[in-house]
Amino acid sequence: MSIKEVDPITLQVIGGAFDTIAQEMGHVLYRMSFSSIIRESQDLGAGLFDANFNTLCESDSTPLHIGSIPGYLRGIQESLQGGEWNEGDIVIHNHPYYGASHSPDIAVVIPIFWKGELVGFSANTAHHVDIGSATPGLIIDIPDVFAEGMLFAGIKLYEKGKRNEAIWQFLGYNSRMPKQLQDDIEAQIASTKLGARRFIELIESYGKDTVMAASNQLMDYSERILRSRIAEIPDGEYYAEGFLDDDGRNRDKRLPIKVCVRIKGDSVEVDLTGSADQVPTGFNVPFEGSTKVACYFAFRALLLDTATSDEYVPQNEGSFRPINVIAPKGSIFNPKFPAAAEARFTQCNRVIDLIVKALSPVLPERVTAGNSASLSFVAYSGIRPSGDYWVFLEVNEGAYGGRLRSDGPDSIDNLMCNTRNNPIEDLGMHLPMICDRYELRDDVMPGAGKYRGGIGVVKAQRLLTDGSITHENERHLDTPWGAFGGKPGAVGKVEVYNTLEDRGVKQLPAKFSGVQVKAGDVMAFYAPCGGGFGNPLERSPEQLREDVLDGFCTREHARQAYGVVLTDDEEIDDMATADLREKMRQKVA
Amino acid sequence: MAKIGVDVGGTFTDLILETEVEGESRVYVHKVPSTPEDQSKGVLKGINEICRMGSVAPPDVKLVVHGTTIATNITLEHTGAEVGMLTTRGFRDILHIARHKRPHNFSMQFDVPWQSKPLVKRRNRIPISERLLPPSGNVDTALAEDEVREAAALFQARGIEAVVIAFLFSFLNNAHERRAKEIIQETLPDAYVCCSSEVVDVIREYERFSTTAMNAYVGPKTAYYLRNLERSLKQEGFDTPLRIMQSNGGIGTVDTCSEKAVTILTSGPAGGVIGGRWAGALSGIDNIITVDIGGTSADISTIPGGEIKIKNPRDTYVGDYPVLAPMIDLTTIGAGGGSIAYIDEGGAFRVGPRSAGADPGPVCYAKGGTEPTVTDAQVVLGRLDADKLLGGELAADRDLAGKAIEDKIAKPLGLSVEEAALGIIKIINNNMALAIRVNSVARGLDPRNFALMPFGGAGPLHGVALARVVSAKEVIVPPAPGITAAVGLLVTDMQYEFTRSVLTVLNAADQKALDNINVQVEKLEQLCRERLQADGVSPEKHRFVRIAECRYQGQGFELRAEMPNGPLTLENKDVVMENFHQQHQQDYGYAFEGSLVEIVTLRVVGVAEVKSLEWPKLAATDSAGIEDAYLFSRPTTFDDGQTLDAPRYARGKLRAGDEVTGPAIIIQHNSTTLVPPDSTARVHESGNLHISV
Repeated sequence: MSIKEVDPITLQVIGGAFDTIAQEMGHVLYRMSFSSIIRESQDLGAGLFDANFNTLCESDSTPLHIGSIPGYLRGIQESLQGGEWNEGDIVIHNHPYYGASHSPDIAVVIPIFWKGELVGFSANTAHHVDIGSATPGLIIDIPDVFAEGMLFAGIKLYEKGKRNEAIWQFLGYNSRMPKQLQDDIEAQIASTKLGARRFIELIESYGKDTVMAASNQLMDYSERILRSRIAEIPDGEYYAEGFLDDDGRNRDKRLPIKVCVRIKGDSVEVDLTGSADQVPTGFNVPFEGSTKVACYFAFRALLLDTATSDEYVPQNEGSFRPINVIAPKGSIFNPKFPAAAEARFTQCNRVIDLIVKALSPVLPERVTAGNSASLSFVAYSGIRPSGDYWVFLEVNEGAYGGRLRSDGPDSIDNLMCNTRNNPIEDLGMHLPMICDRYELRDDVMPGAGKYRGGIGVVKAQRLLTDGSITHENERHLDTPWGAFGGKPGAVGKVEVYNTLEDRGVKQLPAKFSGVQVKAGDVMAFYAPCGGGFGNPLERSPEQLREDVLDGFCTREHARQAYGVVLTDDEEIDDMATADLREKMRQKVA
Repeated sequence: MAKIGVDVGGTFTDLILETEVEGESRVYVHKVPSTPEDQSKGVLKGINEICRMGSVAPPDVKLVVHGTTIATNITLEHTGAEVGMLTTRGFRDILHIARHKRPHNFSMQFDVPWQSKPLVKRRNRIPISERLLPPSGNVDTALAEDEVREAAALFQARGIEAVVIAFLFSFLNNAHERRAKEIIQETLPDAYVCCSSEVVDVIREYERFSTTAMNAYVGPKTAYYLRNLERSLKQEGFDTPLRIMQSNGGIGTVDTCSEKAVTILTSGPAGGVIGGRWAGALSGIDNIITVDIGGTSADISTIPGGEIKIKNPRDTYVGDYPVLAPMIDLTTIGAGGGSIAYIDEGGAFRVGPRSAGADPGPVCYAKGGTEPTVTDAQVVLGRLDADKLLGGELAADRDLAGKAIEDKIAKPLGLSVEEAALGIIKIINNNMALAIRVNSVARGLDPRNFALMPFGGAGPLHGVALARVVSAKEVIVPPAPGITAAVGLLVTDMQYEFTRSVLTVLNAADQKALDNINVQVEKLEQLCRERLQADGVSPEKHRFVRIAECRYQGQGFELRAEMPNGPLTLENKDVVMENFHQQHQQDYGYAFEGSLVEIVTLRVVGVAEVKSLEWPKLAATDSAGIEDAYLFSRPTTFDDGQTLDAPRYARGKLRAGDEVTGPAIIIQHNSTTLVPPDSTARVHESGNLHISV
């Protein structure tokens, strides 16, 4: 590697090119792909990496894939078919004990050679709808990693340019959605080929030494900015804890999460010691590919917040360097082989939410109150009249906690999740399902505060034929927290009922595996609502009147939680409001 | 007989007048300050003035074409109508939830514009009992007409001036939407009412609802503005049709653009692309990349083979709101003469997207600006003559510019002022080059086969450098770079588009399914025909382009496939599939040849050509060559760091066949063309400058 310093002008030029390449790779992948989880939810990551597996650039698709690909590359290095990279190789890999984020996220990797020398990798990961797991699409209650489906470690789909037909045929016989799986892998290949071509063009334009030196400087730049922000936080240990409902099988056992954030100068350590032991189901979190990534996300979102800063900080290895993550081997955040570890998302989001909570006393302007910090990931499936399977994966949104200067956004993807919903009309035209309701929850109120928490969604999906549902979800028991005098939000719930015959409404736990449903059965998901930020008595009566007019707040809630009284014609009753607020203040005092 | 094009920009309103007297065509151009509080004032003033310049009496003006930012400004300033909405019960918050994706991946303090500044407030989104079932569109729950009446009364009580009706699955069956509209109009006869199936008849509820809501949000004010302008023109004696530039580059009437105001949301930059295509055609060049550089932003568009590209409907946004209206495939970036150069907190050297704008403007304007801009760098490098800006109307202070670059950039980075100024230019050029790549390479188009056409006041200073970075073939500077967008108004076609979703898998389609498509295509053509006839275009001039927006079954994004002439048959349906495979290969580098191809949406574009502008040809050069165009020489620093004594030439005195060898600078009233060493500018008889790269 050259040690020559690249001038600041060329640095900007190469940095811009890297960013464009990563976006282009992501764009091709999601535009081309077939399963809605890739094309709409953009559950994918794409980028370029140097020969030492450092991230040079990553697509801005969804944050849950950031920083996860180097783990795959290290895992491939350990397991690579034939033991060496050759020009023309294309590798697939998804083994969670060899660096994968989780098994449905299959990576496609192309080694990039320039003048015969391995100079880097073009790679992407994408969530596949079905890899032949124990239950269709998603899995929770399974015994070990081998129930997750096909596991690939360092397998060459192409070897020195020659297509390995055996693997393609194997894929075709081991998925419930074989064509979609194969075609989506083709889309991944098109995207990685594009990235490799662009990387070579960049090297040809500027020379290998300059490109490599520039990428190192860009990593240093990202590291420097993040370190300067960490250094602004007072040194010390910051704690927060919460708990998870259950592991998807043992319903009465809560699972603690303990987060300690240690700030030391310009570095930070996240220590998850004290969190639950690993669980006997698939509700564990792969350490390299998921636990660490969640912590990287937390600091990037908190300290390099793109909404409050104009500067674009390149997304590369540098932004991971100041962060060290500890989770004891054998814990839920660092399970031992052969524990299954596929259903890991909600735990990741909860870790992030607890990092936010831990740091809130010293970063009031950067944090939120408690978020939904869950995920609703649903697999609907059934058999078509033709005898073929259909499997549909849906990601439902959450809500944010209130902030120092604004309400928590309603019904929107939360924290490490940032996907797009699938159009209801597209769904209705192509699957034996129909959406019966999709709007803001009105059965509970979000956390009250000077700035209220975000309102969760209700989504009711009806199956028109018999089928099966698996739901990866959390937060029916641990309520999102209120911050700085704000009130807690609301927990989520899941209901099942039938529209053809009245069998009553059945409450289900947040996560369940392979529940058989009948035609006409509806699953209604209610997302948790965010916690409030600041004293509710400081929210202006005028704002509450607006809230009531818009139905974001009921008249009753305005009175009880905020001390604001509205007249019958929805004007503010100033006298009654002043009286009530005074009484509420005294009561608190 | 005379025609006028009038293009309103942020600072200036540009005008062009073409007159034809005894078969001889003459062209006049003019600029007046824009009047942001009411654009029509500047427009009327400009029209009156340019008519005087061309000695044209108002009754002789037979056409006025207008490019306007009126609808865009409503969205930027959030000054639209108070809109009411009827929507399917159970789905009140489709506009609030949108696609549930955050505008920021890495942020805790982000704003969600569609929640904080909704097009329709939640209180005015009224759920109505009604239900259609997919995939047939059959009625499951009848429309609750009493609920619609109650909503109408509520809207009336609230003084609502615009109402949208947006029901799920209305693209399959719009009977409920149409009936609800009738009921609303009974109570609110003067309101601006539109159904989602009328505004954009396609699948995907959020995008359709949002487009319809946007239409109602900008519609009333836009309609008022256009009708008022038409009336004012009449009052001043201009008894001429007023035509409006639409976002797709075609012109529409006041009525159609009032009814579908969403079609003119990007009216402004469309004119430039059309003008660029026209200028290329003057020299017989039809592969053009247009780069329109203004003070704060640059608009880039690639025109392959003379065909203006239209954006994929999944990419048409206005601000953060999706708008399913056909728009020219423009890439806009925050890079222009006013872009500010600075060192960020991590020590990185950045230029833009923040701009000094018109106020305070670049430091060299001495209006209080302290942050160095791209224009300051050009002045410091001697490429813009401080005493010659805007033909000498604006004096610039080179020392102030140099001091700002020294203090803010050069010293902190340990560079000389000249190096820092060159760096500013290099970074901004690179930002623009990346945007050019996004609009060309990423769309499967190779810039090596294209001429780069820079325009806008600042464009021709950057043209050759940009062409070199993206490896374009040559640079073509149009005759009047500062008013290219206004020229575009006089050279485009009448154009209307209609769409309808007809989800059909082509491989499996039998003649009955194809007949259904043929019937729908004919209906869409009929709609285009009615519009063109209403504009007074005789039927023999109508031309129809039929497009099937297809995807492989299971994909989520469509690409355009052209349909064969005549009805679809079992024999020729393969042509559509083949066209789609090819487009997929071009866009993504791969085609799933064996997979099922599904038509999602049919689109018919009805076009009627308008007689194009005749630009006067230049006289041929004589033996004197370029001597009489020579002005003076000054030291000028070029991208390679050389400072050379570069001659200045007056563009107005150059003749066809003249050659200007770099280093040189060619000056005209509001634009300066840089010809670096190793480049030569050749003057084409059309008035274009062709510069080698």
